[in-house]
Amino acid sequence: MGLSDYIIMRELNFPDINRFERYCQVGGWEAYRTAVKEQTPATIVQMVKEAGLRGRGGAGFPTGIKWSFLPKDVFPRYLLCNCDESEPGTFNNHQIIDRNPHQLIEGVALSAYAIECHTAYIYMRGEFAAAALTLEQAIDEAYRAGLLGKNILGTGYDLDIYVHRGAGAYICGEETALMESLEGKIGQPRLKPPFPAVAGLYGKPTIINNVETLANVPRIVEKGVAWYRSHGTEKSPGTKCFSLSGHVNRPGNYELPFGVPLRDLIESPEYGGGMKGGRPVKIIIPGGASAPWLTAKHLDVPLDYEGVAAAGSMLGSGAVIVLNDTVKAPHVAYKMDEFFKHESCGKCTPCREGTHWLVKVLHRLAEEGHAEPDDIPTLHGIYRQMAGNCFCLLGESAVMPIKSALELFPEEFEAIIKASNERHQRNGAHAIPLRVS
Amino acid sequence: MLLETHREAIETIVGRYASPRSAVLPLLYLAQDVYGHLSNTAIREVAAILALPETAVFEVVGFYTLFYSRPVGTWMLQVCDDVPCCYLGAEELITALKDSLQIKEEATSTDGMFTLQRVKCLAACDRAPVLQANLDYVYDVTPDKVEALLKDLRSRAADARRRGVSGRFAEDFAVTEQGAVELVARDAPYQSRQFEVQGPPPPPEPIPPPEVESGQDRAETRRASPL
Repeated sequence: MGLSDYIIMRELNFPDINRFERYCQVGGWEAYRTAVKEQTPATIVQMVKEAGLRGRGGAGFPTGIKWSFLPKDVFPRYLLCNCDESEPGTFNNHQIIDRNPHQLIEGVALSAYAIECHTAYIYMRGEFAAAALTLEQAIDEAYRAGLLGKNILGTGYDLDIYVHRGAGAYICGEETALMESLEGKIGQPRLKPPFPAVAGLYGKPTIINNVETLANVPRIVEKGVAWYRSHGTEKSPGTKCFSLSGHVNRPGNYELPFGVPLRDLIESPEYGGGMKGGRPVKIIIPGGASAPWLTAKHLDVPLDYEGVAAAGSMLGSGAVIVLNDTVKAPHVAYKMDEFFKHESCGKCTPCREGTHWLVKVLHRLAEEGHAEPDDIPTLHGIYRQMAGNCFCLLGESAVMPIKSALELFPEEFEAIIKASNERHQRNGAHAIPLRVS
Repeated sequence: MLLETHREAIETIVGRYASPRSAVLPLLYLAQDVYGHLSNTAIREVAAILALPETAVFEVVGFYTLFYSRPVGTWMLQVCDDVPCCYLGAEELITALKDSLQIKEEATSTDGMFTLQRVKCLAACDRAPVLQANLDYVYDVTPDKVEALLKDLRSRAADARRRGVSGRFAEDFAVTEQGAVELVARDAPYQSRQFEVQGPPPPPEPIPPPEVESGQDRAETRRASPL
């Protein structure tokens, strides 16, 4: 069932495609050459629209439609490539850059041409230092080949691409926070509207797309809409690089057409290779830390935006974390919310305080085993005050782990409370020891 | 002074952006590599180069985790402790590092060689447990490989001082099954990962939840909220 012609992970077809010459040999940069010489930007936008390419960063919004939100005749415009991949479970951008960097650069260049912009920035998380060097090298090679810079291929089109490294803040993956960070400020999100397409970087119209999204563009333009649409489903065309991690035998990135059942990804010997030690599946987080959890009964859910949504979760970034029965649900919720607490930017109260209190209660409960009788209503109360009240999606995402844990595994919380209560009765002392600091 | 020693690099960086303020992060990285960490003087210097209010730059240093406003070791060890790493040996790895180096989290070893820090997701979940040493990735660091890793890092201390802590010349490494630390060449052809051959499943052994002392040791890796 593996793809014979990969769209993104082409290193599986051509192991040395990370070399510029090799990338050009296998048809690389041809789509871009043809586009700048012979096609209008509108043609490219139309192709991407018809191909039904959807944003791979998490929201799944149609890319061509996003591009068409740009106001007419307002220049300069900017294209930003979002490579601030830092949500637990996500790791495919990293591999795309290491293994197939030229396709990403071509995708950025082609998309920049399509939206008629002359400056593009690739915003990478600070930790991707080596990957930033890889990209800079790939960009240099494109400059030397006359594919970037001034008067590209004699057509009069100018384009510069720069790599910009963040410095360790998950929130900068939120598109408006990314722009703030790129402007040299702390990464706190902006109020929307105005949307970035209208007023983004430096107040100019700006398009922000994920690494994987942009890496799709050259293949769509090169091979055509029909070929692209022959992969995946009607509403989710194409393929997705699923990042599989956790208690599976073969964690890694696997590019599959949309619509493949979750079970195949986890159990097929070509992909996940089943669970480590044959232990049962307990929790599946199908779309990165912010996706509501699924369980073993959801193994037949098709992996496309609609299928996962119908199961009550979201495909998000396609980062599938699979955990076995050795983990405790309250502990997983604690670790996940600790992540969100750490990454909360502090701008809005529901998120800053909410994540703080969730972690405080969950740490006591899941790590120390000390519970108060009304901890469950307390936890419900905290996340309900956050849901729908946060400034950006980070706070909303922090609700998902604890909400899922309480909905799917309430008995585990009750067991901790019961054990704590019994200890309390036995010792005749308060269940919570005074913290000596 | 940065402007005297690195004028060309600074002008190139500033030239990339429509507003000089955008160059704050790259210039802070540069200053951090030159001075070892971001002292108040270094931060003020960056503010002066970009003609920004000093508070604007201090705020940025406080917000982002990769800027160090106090001295750090030659090697900054940053271990990911998120799901799924924490269920695949990250807690044990942190304990092994603490035992071997005889330090607490956020502290620097007495010889000034290592600073140990717990960080959030490093986006390499398939190679867990994973850490970064001065932003060089080190994959597959199971606790038993800690001694080999530390020995290797010590032997490359001079190289680390030359390259700085900000990863401007970063490389990626993997620790092999035998404990050798090998460079992952950036332009090498792709090789699919070798997985162990699966025998019959061993009898399941329950993994106890990671043990953590009362939480006193988990200092925040970021300074207090900017508000």
